[in-house]
Amino acid sequence: METLKSLFYILIFPGLLFSICFGLILSGIDRKMVARMQRRIGPPIMQPFYDILKLAGKENLIPRVAAKKTFILAPLIGLISVITISLFIPFYGIYFFSGQFGDIIVILYLLTIPAVALIIGGAASGSPYASIGISREMVTMLSYEVPLVIIVLAVGAKAGIAISGNVTFSLKVIEDYQKLYGVNLANLATLPAALAFLFVIPAEVGTVPFDVAEAETEICEGPLVEYSGFYLGIYKLTQAVKMFIMGNLFVSLFLGGINFGNTILNVLFNILLIILVIVVSVSFVRSVVGRIRIEQTLKFFWTIPTVLAVISLILAYI
Amino acid sequence: MNYVSSLPIIAIITPFIGAFLIGAISSNKKLLPAMKGIAIVSSLVSLVSLLFLTKPILLEGKVATYWLGNWMPQEQMAIGIGLEVDSFGLFTGLIITFSSFLSSIYSVTYMKEDNALDKYYTLFLLLLGSMIGFVLTGDLFNMYVMLEIMTFAAISLTAFRNNIYKSLEAGFKYIVIGSLGSTLILLGTVLIYAQTATLNMAQISALIHNNYTPVTILALAFMMAGYGVKAFLVPCHTWPPDAHMSAPSSVSMLLSGVMSKTGIYGFVRLLYMIFFSVGMAKMELLIILWGTLTMIVGASMAIIQTDFKRLLAFSSVSQIGYIIVAFGVGLSSKSSIGVLGTLGGLYHMINHASFKCLLFMCAGAVLHATGTTDITKLGGLSKKMPYTTILFLIAAFSISGLPPFNGFVSKWMIYQATYEAGYAPVTIIALIVSVFTLAYMMKLAQSVFFGELPKKLEEVKEVPLTMSITMGVFALACLVEGLFPKIISKYLLEPAAYSIYNLHNYIDVMFTKGFAEKMFKNKIPIPNMTYEMAGYWRPEAWFVLFIVILIGFIIGVGISLNFVKKNNIDTTCNFGDKYGVFTGGEKEEFAPIAGGDLFWGLRHNLKGYFGFLEKAHSGVVNDYVTWVISCTAVLSIYLFAVL
Amino acid sequence: MLINYIGAFIVMILGLYIMMSKKNLIKIVIGMSLVDSGLNLLLVSVGFRPGGTAPIFITDLKPGAFFVDPVPQALTLTSIVIGACVSALALSLIIKIQEKYGTIDADKVRRLRG
Repeated sequence: METLKSLFYILIFPGLLFSICFGLILSGIDRKMVARMQRRIGPPIMQPFYDILKLAGKENLIPRVAAKKTFILAPLIGLISVITISLFIPFYGIYFFSGQFGDIIVILYLLTIPAVALIIGGAASGSPYASIGISREMVTMLSYEVPLVIIVLAVGAKAGIAISGNVTFSLKVIEDYQKLYGVNLANLATLPAALAFLFVIPAEVGTVPFDVAEAETEICEGPLVEYSGFYLGIYKLTQAVKMFIMGNLFVSLFLGGINFGNTILNVLFNILLIILVIVVSVSFVRSVVGRIRIEQTLKFFWTIPTVLAVISLILAYI
Repeated sequence: MNYVSSLPIIAIITPFIGAFLIGAISSNKKLLPAMKGIAIVSSLVSLVSLLFLTKPILLEGKVATYWLGNWMPQEQMAIGIGLEVDSFGLFTGLIITFSSFLSSIYSVTYMKEDNALDKYYTLFLLLLGSMIGFVLTGDLFNMYVMLEIMTFAAISLTAFRNNIYKSLEAGFKYIVIGSLGSTLILLGTVLIYAQTATLNMAQISALIHNNYTPVTILALAFMMAGYGVKAFLVPCHTWPPDAHMSAPSSVSMLLSGVMSKTGIYGFVRLLYMIFFSVGMAKMELLIILWGTLTMIVGASMAIIQTDFKRLLAFSSVSQIGYIIVAFGVGLSSKSSIGVLGTLGGLYHMINHASFKCLLFMCAGAVLHATGTTDITKLGGLSKKMPYTTILFLIAAFSISGLPPFNGFVSKWMIYQATYEAGYAPVTIIALIVSVFTLAYMMKLAQSVFFGELPKKLEEVKEVPLTMSITMGVFALACLVEGLFPKIISKYLLEPAAYSIYNLHNYIDVMFTKGFAEKMFKNKIPIPNMTYEMAGYWRPEAWFVLFIVILIGFIIGVGISLNFVKKNNIDTTCNFGDKYGVFTGGEKEEFAPIAGGDLFWGLRHNLKGYFGFLEKAHSGVVNDYVTWVISCTAVLSIYLFAVL
Repeated sequence: MLINYIGAFIVMILGLYIMMSKKNLIKIVIGMSLVDSGLNLLLVSVGFRPGGTAPIFITDLKPGAFFVDPVPQALTLTSIVIGACVSALALSLIIKIQEKYGTIDADKVRRLRG
């Protein structure tokens, strides 16, 4: 019975099937919102499904100078790690494999693996455009890791000190804290951290204004320039599922603790909040601004979100 | 709990006897295979004798003692040289002998084209014997003598290939700075002897405890600076980048991966046993600050290098910073956090030895195959040397701390220990340095193994079988240490950590029981340590990952079997070529991006910071000496103000 | 014997000053051996006991014979040997550097830097 339940969690909800479908729907909603905000009609919401199906039918080309095994394995490793992360973030009241001591650190570690998979895939393709792309991807990762770590530490300190006297790294304790004291977004001490996290989401997902690693017009998609067919589809899937997990992480860190008493209603409310978060942080910004350069990315992330997160860290200890 | 045995003596003396045997038959050139055999057999004998010692010492907690020449102590004063092997010494000894054994097998194939190989094997066995002697002894001056033999052997091996200019310059800088470090250690030893009239470490710790005169504080400052030169802490870290770059690779892995551990062994013995400072907050602050500075400088210098082995040496400096921070947390007065810090430091010692040796072996394989280590001239070697590429990627993922390799486990323990001890900025800095580590490892991977193959390197071949087997053993060790941390912690780490804190036992086995209590006037509590304090491991998570990987593998293999016949159609036209890379219309050889340029943007942004660091490592010997002396001065001023 | 200690420390400080400021490589090696000499002087002075004789068994031992401390003298012998070896090794490296670089000025022997 336990293994059957685990298999259900892994394969159907929120594992393979649910995260892929919901991630693609999120990506479709994002494109539709951006188009409407720019006074266009835009593609239908199911468009990413059609894109992936189209890509699966195209021919897979592997360049002659590429390192073949690494070229094939890299996108798969990225997708697998992203799906594994989705099993560790709880919905309202349902914990799949989490609730233990060191959740957030495992999530942070696993979040670096898709970026590494992109870098390795680009390196294995042997193209000069890919080299530029992966150096930019590396610098972007360096820049957004700093505020992300401080945000997690700040929220963990605030929740842990109130409940157990010691800093906590478990999402269950953070949700218990929010049940007692109200959502973290309304709390003045963690509001700067929430704002900083909203800045980090577009950089993690890889959309404008922080998608300088995959700039379509400058370096022809960067690390993905030699990918075609099904492997390109897997990279696009990874990006979509990452949107889902970043939204879910925001909801459980800053908007948790709400309970309606009914499991289905809880899950639906969580899904609604994820859509709202992604629309606010990704679509609103994407429709109005352009892409910024790599040194501006570094300077931005090491000043504004870091300062906000440090303010939150200091306020957590007062 | 006393255990008198002659196995430590066998472990120390056998390499020395082997060295002299090789020296005796060295004039006969035809006996070269016999010399190689003597080297391998001597290191094997040392390894086996230390393995026989594990059962009483590690598993049952006894301590082996041996008074040389049978000069037993008279009237509670020690008059002979004593060997004392407890779990911490045995733990370090096992790391040393295991790595040296594999290095001796590796060097048989690697050094085939050099001449004067008889001198190489003599020096190699001298290095091995002195390292084991340093770790297993219990006498302060004996440690200095073994340290000097180690330094000589290492300098001679660094300057071994003396037809290349790099080796000579590196050897000279090493000898100036290294002998300065040894002089500082001897100065500290002399001052301690002037105060206590004995040289036995157990007795010194009993006599010095809690009465610090100015002479002993000065001695502590000098000895800390001296061991800082040996264990490359900033700012005494300027000799390893030159020395590890120029030595032959089978020796660089010993210098970088193993000799640094002996420096840390000396440091820990100094802080935890001779000058017992567990519970002093000011010492804890000093060690943690020192470790953090080392981490940052090591990682920042490593990103801007253009030479393979020099970059690996700087990354060694940064990882040693991690270990020192962990041992600094171990000095904390809250005993459960302190124990976690010590366990993390010990685990990172054994992890660092494994993956650093593997990285240097890969560098040696690349040098052996292509003849250069300049990464701006290399590229695209993964098609010709696939086995080396996989092993390099395993080591790169271990050093950056990705699961399921071993770097993840030890770095997790260090993060948790520093955060619970109240040093949250140190945790943040450690995480950022970890990302920097990933950055320069990816830079190496891209510029050496992936990318495009230059025309000159068309006919490189894969490394021979002997070298591949030794590299594979280290990679297997990395994987095993990452997957079974509970077993390693229970059998190797906890006895070692217990014996570090258990000063009473250390003193009692040399003298009689109860001697330490009379001297110390109170019993030092030994905290309870189990592995569950680290608390992150969930076996179900890995079951989950396994199923997901299985499904992904099935899908991937199914897709890739579709086009197994569409490979490598060799067309001669460069335009409209379906299997060439997209270069926007240019010819391929005019559009390369070398790996040295990978981080030029970052370097340009922070050019004040990186420029300052580059100018500080100016290459002039006098500057390096000035750094060491100023470090000593700062340490003495701080310790006089504090103690 | 206070003057011994002061003399030893002054010799060591002079040796360190030479190592820090002179540019000729042979002068740096001379500085190293000066530091060693100062250290040996310090080591021997530590073992001095006023009124004692040399610790050698000439005839058989009479009770009440007063020796100076023999242990630092053994340590000094070891240290002198080590100092000689260090000087020999460093000077031989300087000879090879002169062949390769053509100069023994520390400002010019700095191809490994950065």
